[in-house]
Amino acid sequence: MDWRTFFGFATLPKPEYIRAYEKTLERRIASRKPVSELEFLVLDTETTGLDTKRDHVLSYGAVQVSHNRIKISSAKEYYLRPKKRNREAIKVHGLVRERPFVSREALIRSFLEDARHRVLVGHHLGFDLAMMERVGRSLGLRKIKSPALDTFDLAVRLDMGKYYDPRSIVSSEYSLDKLCERYNIVPDDRHTAAGDAFLAAQLLVKLLKQAEKKGIKTFGELMG
Amino acid sequence: MANVVVNRVIDFLKKYPPFSFLSDELLAQVAKEVDLVYFEEGEFLFQKGEPAKSFFFVVREGAIKLTDHVSGKEETVEICDEGDVFGVLALLGKRPYILNARADEPSLVIAVPVATFEKILNENNRVSLYFASGFASGQLVVRSGLSQTQKVRALFGRSDSENGLMLFSGQTAIQYSHPVIYCPIGESTAEAVARMNRHKVGSIIVVDENKHPKGIITDKDLRNRLIGQNLPYDTPVASIMSQPVVTASKDLEFSKIYLNMVKHRLHHLVFTEDGSADSPLVGIISDHDILLSQGNSPAVLIKALQESRDIHEMAKYRNQAEGMLRYYLENELAIDFIAGIVTEINDTLIRQAIAMAIARHEADFPEVRHIAFCFLALGSEGRGEQLLRTDLDNAIVYEDVPEGLKEKAQNFMHLIARDVMDILFACDFHSCPAEMMANNPRWCQPLSQWKKYFSRWIREPDPQSLMMATIFFDFRAVSGKQGLADELTQHVYEEINQGKVFLNFFAKNALLNPPPLGFFRNFMVEKSGKHAEKFDIKLRAMMPLADAARVLILSHQVVGINNTFKRYEKLAELEPAQAALFKDAGKAYEIFMRIRALEGLSTNSSGRFINPDSLGKLQRQLLKNAFFPIEEIQKILKVRFQLDYFGS
Repeated sequence: MDWRTFFGFATLPKPEYIRAYEKTLERRIASRKPVSELEFLVLDTETTGLDTKRDHVLSYGAVQVSHNRIKISSAKEYYLRPKKRNREAIKVHGLVRERPFVSREALIRSFLEDARHRVLVGHHLGFDLAMMERVGRSLGLRKIKSPALDTFDLAVRLDMGKYYDPRSIVSSEYSLDKLCERYNIVPDDRHTAAGDAFLAAQLLVKLLKQAEKKGIKTFGELMG
Repeated sequence: MANVVVNRVIDFLKKYPPFSFLSDELLAQVAKEVDLVYFEEGEFLFQKGEPAKSFFFVVREGAIKLTDHVSGKEETVEICDEGDVFGVLALLGKRPYILNARADEPSLVIAVPVATFEKILNENNRVSLYFASGFASGQLVVRSGLSQTQKVRALFGRSDSENGLMLFSGQTAIQYSHPVIYCPIGESTAEAVARMNRHKVGSIIVVDENKHPKGIITDKDLRNRLIGQNLPYDTPVASIMSQPVVTASKDLEFSKIYLNMVKHRLHHLVFTEDGSADSPLVGIISDHDILLSQGNSPAVLIKALQESRDIHEMAKYRNQAEGMLRYYLENELAIDFIAGIVTEINDTLIRQAIAMAIARHEADFPEVRHIAFCFLALGSEGRGEQLLRTDLDNAIVYEDVPEGLKEKAQNFMHLIARDVMDILFACDFHSCPAEMMANNPRWCQPLSQWKKYFSRWIREPDPQSLMMATIFFDFRAVSGKQGLADELTQHVYEEINQGKVFLNFFAKNALLNPPPLGFFRNFMVEKSGKHAEKFDIKLRAMMPLADAARVLILSHQVVGINNTFKRYEKLAELEPAQAALFKDAGKAYEIFMRIRALEGLSTNSSGRFINPDSLGKLQRQLLKNAFFPIEEIQKILKVRFQLDYFGS
């Protein structure tokens, strides 16, 4: 008998797709791997608020980038059916339209499949991952341990160098809007998860080229 | 299911050929499979000699240079920018690239996989033709510009009935003269001419007892064969008629009829029951009718308008003029020519309407029926640059009459104005929302009153006056006594010279609409309301230029030039130091007129509100460039009229 079962800590058996994801984490990406050969999953979520403990994910959007190419064919856009009371609110705001609603399980399954062997990317990614963990918790997902790259951090680092005083950063200068403007990205479909993920992906390919110029050429250097 | 990201790609691709030819469904299939690739300046996309990649490219933003090595040096062959397609040739020919492709600036490029596209090439005829036409002419880049599209259009022929040349516009549009006028073969010429006069026609068919056509007599025959030969009026029609007549069946297709007439150089074609000369007469068509049905001969249209006394017919002719306008615009004729023609047509219509109104009412006003008056066009029509039938702005000025006749004159003029406007409305012109029209009693006044109006606007330049001035100062005499308009112009300049400060106010007023700074993605679009997200080309682009031109031309005391673009031409002449800028401004204005008219025709609206995203790449580029002079012109106004020190 497993010790966890003995102490009554055991949860339901983990679904296969979660185990498959966790298994891929065992094989780490070699730190010498060139950035141009990396595979990324750029994602964004739209939530009911900013509280990772109380708020819910409304929608999720993601697109893959590999070898510096944004793969439109991999683009995902999912909506979670809102809880009943939220649904009323949404009706009032007139946001109801035909949407590709999926179950939480389908969302997590798709996300984890895409996340395998990929570097996760997002703008203020930590928040999105925390929200995704919240969606996945009841399904048996504990921690999303994929390597994670925040486009906010990368943009700051390209300006300030690796070691900078976080207090010296005016974070509004590095909002997704501001960066899009600076990097000449057309800010369409702002504030839909898929639209923002697409913007972040465009931002990523541009930042990576900048990074390469500054000597950040391998996975190790990118994450370090 | 297409998501937001795929839709983004679709929205982009569908603006550019060959993708614009695809059905929504096919386009979605293509868009779903593409990659977006980013290249830094100087990076190679592919190099000469490399085997073809499995995709071709569309520039989404930035610019890609196609280069070749010529005697050791890299030389640019082509530059591709937004919407251009390249790298197809190697792909379809399955052979190595013959050029280098290199990013000329940071560029985002869409890579379209060949597998998806090959399927479409096979399925969609237009797309393969599109590529074929480009390659046949040795093109490396599939241009999204105008010339390519036109070439392709010529290749396809137009899919629908709106043929570019409007030669064969379909039989329904032809007007057969009906009923046909004829006379028996035994009649004298005098009798035949009496019939022609009675029916106001220029030709008559001579028929035998079975109503079979035997000949035709036209005005020309009367001149050449009767009067010219000194023959008496009782000469039988049979001896002067042209014969035999060329006949055709009335069921013939229009294109065949037309060719028939061209081939035989016929002015008339006679229709009979079975098409032969030995069957009863049913109708006649003249080359005049054919020209009219084509609608692209302004001279013919104007003549037809002059001869018409029927409101419905006039409305129909005016509608045909719209087809002509479209044809001219699509074929990029010079805008001053187009504006000139359209203005002439509108003026003819107004003159005709006035003649009809006078004929109807003069009997009731014997004392004032010969009163001198002048019909003034105002606003854009006054400037002779109204291409579409948008709002009417006009007025009537008439000579001052003795006290006793005042009321009569006023009543007579009001009736004329009312009838003229009714005819114009019937011809699909729109009523001015502010009622600045001759049928508004306020704007149908004797000269003395008009002088008072203008004096007030010039002496008390409050916002209301200035608003009026922008519309009324562009008045132009359309019909009637030109002298009345001249006298008014004279008066305006006298008043302005007395109170020069008016021009400063007028200049300040011209700055009310700032230039549409920012371009491309950030056109200044309307923030809310019915036209949210649309660009108001009239308010943002045309009015600033028109207002500035008016002020400047007034300050030079130039008389008789009303077109905004001609005003800038004149200004360039008067101020050589600023000639380049004024010429640019004039050109810019022409571009705005063209884009607005095309938008209006395609959306059946005033064309005033334009969705920037709906514009083709070329048009956006044109617009973008055309904005530049606005700001410069406004700067000139500011300095010249010292507006920074000029309190409001």
